[in-house]
Amino acid sequence: MRPEDRERTKVEVVSRIVQEHVERARTAPEGYLETLVNDTLYHERQRLEREDRRRARDQIGFYDEALRRMSHASDRDLRDLVEQMSRRFVDEVVGNFDERVYRFATSMIPTGLWALLNAMSPRRLLSLEGMRNGLANHLLVQGEVDHVRSLLDHGTLVVVPTHLSNLDSIILGYATYLVGLPPLTYGAGLNLFTNPLVSFFMRNLGAYKVDRKKKCTLYKDVLKQYATCSMELGYHNLFFPGGTRSRSGEVERKLKKGLLGTSVAAYVNNLQARRAKPNLYVVPCTLSYLLVLEGETLIDDHLKEVGKSRYIIEDDEFSRPRQVYNFFSKLMSLDAKIVVTYSAPLDIFGNHVDREGRSLDRRGRVVDTARYVTREGRPYHDAQRDAEYTRELSLAIVQSFLQDNVILSTHLVAFSLFNLLRRQNPELDLYRLLRTGGVVDSFPMESLHQELDHVLHTLRNTEGERPRLDRLLEGGDTQAMVADALRAFGLYHTRPAATRRGDRVFHEDRNLLLYYSNRLRGYDLGRRMNGGAR
Amino acid sequence: MSKDSVGVVGAGSWGTTLARILGDNGHQTLVWAFEQEVCDEINAQHTNSRYVPEMVLPGTVRATGDLQQICERCQFMLMVIPSHVLRRVATQMGDHLDGEHIIVHCTKGIEQETFKRMSEVLREETCVRKIGVLCGPNLARELAARQPAGTLVASKFDEVVRAAQHYLHNSYFRVYGGSDVVGAEVGGAFKNIVAVAAGVVDGLKLGDNTKALLLTRGLSEMARYGASLGADLLTFGGMAGIGDLMATCASPLSRNHQVGERLARGETLQQIQEGMFMVAEGVKTTRSVQAYAIYRGLELPIVHAAHALLYDGTGVQAAIEELMARDVAREFVELRL
Repeated sequence: MRPEDRERTKVEVVSRIVQEHVERARTAPEGYLETLVNDTLYHERQRLEREDRRRARDQIGFYDEALRRMSHASDRDLRDLVEQMSRRFVDEVVGNFDERVYRFATSMIPTGLWALLNAMSPRRLLSLEGMRNGLANHLLVQGEVDHVRSLLDHGTLVVVPTHLSNLDSIILGYATYLVGLPPLTYGAGLNLFTNPLVSFFMRNLGAYKVDRKKKCTLYKDVLKQYATCSMELGYHNLFFPGGTRSRSGEVERKLKKGLLGTSVAAYVNNLQARRAKPNLYVVPCTLSYLLVLEGETLIDDHLKEVGKSRYIIEDDEFSRPRQVYNFFSKLMSLDAKIVVTYSAPLDIFGNHVDREGRSLDRRGRVVDTARYVTREGRPYHDAQRDAEYTRELSLAIVQSFLQDNVILSTHLVAFSLFNLLRRQNPELDLYRLLRTGGVVDSFPMESLHQELDHVLHTLRNTEGERPRLDRLLEGGDTQAMVADALRAFGLYHTRPAATRRGDRVFHEDRNLLLYYSNRLRGYDLGRRMNGGAR
Repeated sequence: MSKDSVGVVGAGSWGTTLARILGDNGHQTLVWAFEQEVCDEINAQHTNSRYVPEMVLPGTVRATGDLQQICERCQFMLMVIPSHVLRRVATQMGDHLDGEHIIVHCTKGIEQETFKRMSEVLREETCVRKIGVLCGPNLARELAARQPAGTLVASKFDEVVRAAQHYLHNSYFRVYGGSDVVGAEVGGAFKNIVAVAAGVVDGLKLGDNTKALLLTRGLSEMARYGASLGADLLTFGGMAGIGDLMATCASPLSRNHQVGERLARGETLQQIQEGMFMVAEGVKTTRSVQAYAIYRGLELPIVHAAHALLYDGTGVQAAIEELMARDVAREFVELRL
């Protein structure tokens, strides 16, 4: 955030939160504010118990003092505590933004990234230019870029990408810069700020800090209100609506509504304040990687206990600089690209918008969206109504994700090979199949080619929802696709997902096969391949 | 133009009855009628002799043939038109609607070619989001006589439910609220299929045991079908589920029931339809649900039997024998309760 906006935003965030809770306390059962403060105290003290006491001394002192005050707190004291706690949170969250630093930092991403990941070895520094070109050559940005750009004259953007890797925000930052879109502000996990150099880039790329260890309501309110205020001030935002990296490798189909919902609140505030450009435009965006840096950790976490996976992973591949470097240089050696696809922009109600920023209904008629949130011409907030609008928006985003998800050779080959495995072992449940590999350790290359042809044929002839195929797959040379994927599998992961020996293909790391194949889930492909109706 | 009235789109027996309830409640009510003579009669004589011969409408109820006018004058509207024309009417209305409008549809059917529910059709053809569905045990003729009754209005928007309750609820009509739009729509549409089958049972003069068996298993199929579309199973235990099913299947007044009775007498669908000027939704719904069940691999034996009776010329005895010969499983096994 620009320095001139920072202070007033902090004041605004705190004042809105205090006002909201004081108002709620009026109608809520007695003890509402007390519960709110206690919730913060409880969660924060619990969190601090696990922190380094010396580094957290100031915070511990604050919460100890707050606890003492709670024993004889008046309503006024409680209100003050809510204010002080919110103030502490917002101070921590608010990021830095400097236009000049941004320009410098973005243009330096490839260089900077390499440098810091490689601990600035002088010899490596010499080849930085090559690296930078390398990333530009390996990054394909496509989709509705011009359309998105045309909306800048009409309102504020909210970019909502799929999320696979911690590299996503860096890749997106660079993609945004490459296609000439303005900087995006986004919440980044504290773990991304641990390295001082990354931290420098993150902060100056518009990132604000999100500490996912903070579980209390008040902290989440601060985050949401900060996003709301920044949107109202015209800062283009980026949220990962899935909330966290996809563990299974699937495209997100269930989105978190919290942050997404702030766009409706910001829109109503804009209308109430009669801002000249009140509109917000939601831009779904997909990222596709031939190989995913953290693939092994993520799928293992997914399988360990489905539904109970860790929300925060701090000890994965991303935390090991050498591995990140290794990953990138391997990726560069392939003909592969990281594909960023911008989908058609939506309004915050899930309608499509034209290049003039006007919302369109499904018959192409222009819609006056202000009417969705007004009564007799006056805009008003209604939490239940807005939650429903957000739910509808999330459905529209998921639809865009599924349509603009780009399938690369690794996904297609993993999917085909996994199909063969399943068919060969119909009696095994998924977990047993993953563990044992079933009755055969390999399949003839010919079978894989045939299966892949079948998958491709189904994909191409599917009516309705289907993913995009990468340009390399459009040509239709099955053998080349398989070769491409197997080469990629063999390059980076600890164990390749699959390898070729002679005229047979061996399934090696079935978890990874599942992970990459999952990118094709959500399209009802299994049923479609069996001839539609069953 | 100012919004000075509440609207009812459709002046059939149910639409007119609902307009009378709105009028009884003191609301200026504007009814859109497709036929000009119906419009004229309502405005001149406060009657609609074609659809509800006995009813006299209060002076608060007026009629129009102009869809634009009803959209401009009414913020809150009930849509009470047959499923096969709902899309066409909605498309025309779409040019005059905005995001403040509230539409509650009262159509108990599914679009034949697309399997879409009426709220989905409204969503596709208009920019309106505040959509709801009204569904319950509401035989128009009983409500016309102001006999106590209840119904369900379901919408994802609380505002819609509140508005519907505000306008419709009164001393003889209880309006319950809910949020399960899918469940309410499925209940309303599906029960018409069971009603056709119930008509057959009554036409054959089979007893209460048979009827209860049919209704219970019909409800189970309704829930199975609803669950596949994401409905809340509890809805089927309420107004739009068991409530509507009981009223429709018990009453010889229901058009769907009449279709069943005449099938039992050996008439063909064509013969039956020639003699009816109002729509029996169950006839079309049977075809839609049957097609959907095949597409999704759902097992819905009563639907299948109704389809065979209506469209394949299967005899009633053969259909019953086939149903009774099916394997029995544990109750609710398909619902995984």
